[in-house]
Amino acid sequence: MLDIKVGPNDEIILAGRFDASQAERAEQFLAGVTGTRVVDLGELQYISSLGLGVLLATQKRLMDQGHGLKLVNVRGHVRDILHFAGFDRVFALDSPPSA
Amino acid sequence: MMSSQQRSFPRQVASLPAVFDFIDGFFESASIDGDHRVPVHFAVEELFTNLVKYSRGGTHDIEVELRREPGRLAVSLTDFGVEPFDIRRAPDARVDLGARDRTPGGLGIHILKRMVDGIDYEYADGRSTTTIFKDLG
Repeated sequence: MLDIKVGPNDEIILAGRFDASQAERAEQFLAGVTGTRVVDLGELQYISSLGLGVLLATQKRLMDQGHGLKLVNVRGHVRDILHFAGFDRVFALDSPPSA
Repeated sequence: MMSSQQRSFPRQVASLPAVFDFIDGFFESASIDGDHRVPVHFAVEELFTNLVKYSRGGTHDIEVELRREPGRLAVSLTDFGVEPFDIRRAPDARVDLGARDRTPGGLGIHILKRMVDGIDYEYADGRSTTTIFKDLG
């Protein structure tokens, strides 16, 4: 299950598992996001290619409006997956020094 | 120790939680380090959802087999009554592009190839089997 929250500094927190069964719910939430926003992935344990597609579509939409997402606390297997996807060229990415 | 298990799942994305539970149960019974779960989940989700989306003519359930082999885990997904599709021949995605130039498709298989340690493919008489291997060392 994917947990979607907004943190105290208005950051979006994605926690748990972002798989195909959760993509529609995440898509609905992210469709309402505007401006430049931080997305905290520190508690995200898993993301599939459908999850990556939802993030990418959101980034494209926000960039067209002169904004974008910044992904922070990217770690572990999620960091590997985003690296293989070349998402360091798509998003501002912030990873802890060691994970 | 359980050395292999096989189960069939309805051809729908909604089967995924049950597929993941099946994998996790096998990890436990075969004493496989849980750190390997994410790459295996990623690969199986990618293969399974591709079969649901693209296997024209497929109406049969999708068969998932897990095998504990010396030093590695093998996971096979078999589809029936379909055209061949060998993911080893799929072109790499353009992961060097920025957001605006990205096009949908191909990214999941591109990542899958980098998260597993081997891929086999067999096809005969409409029976299509992709096997991924994960080293457990």
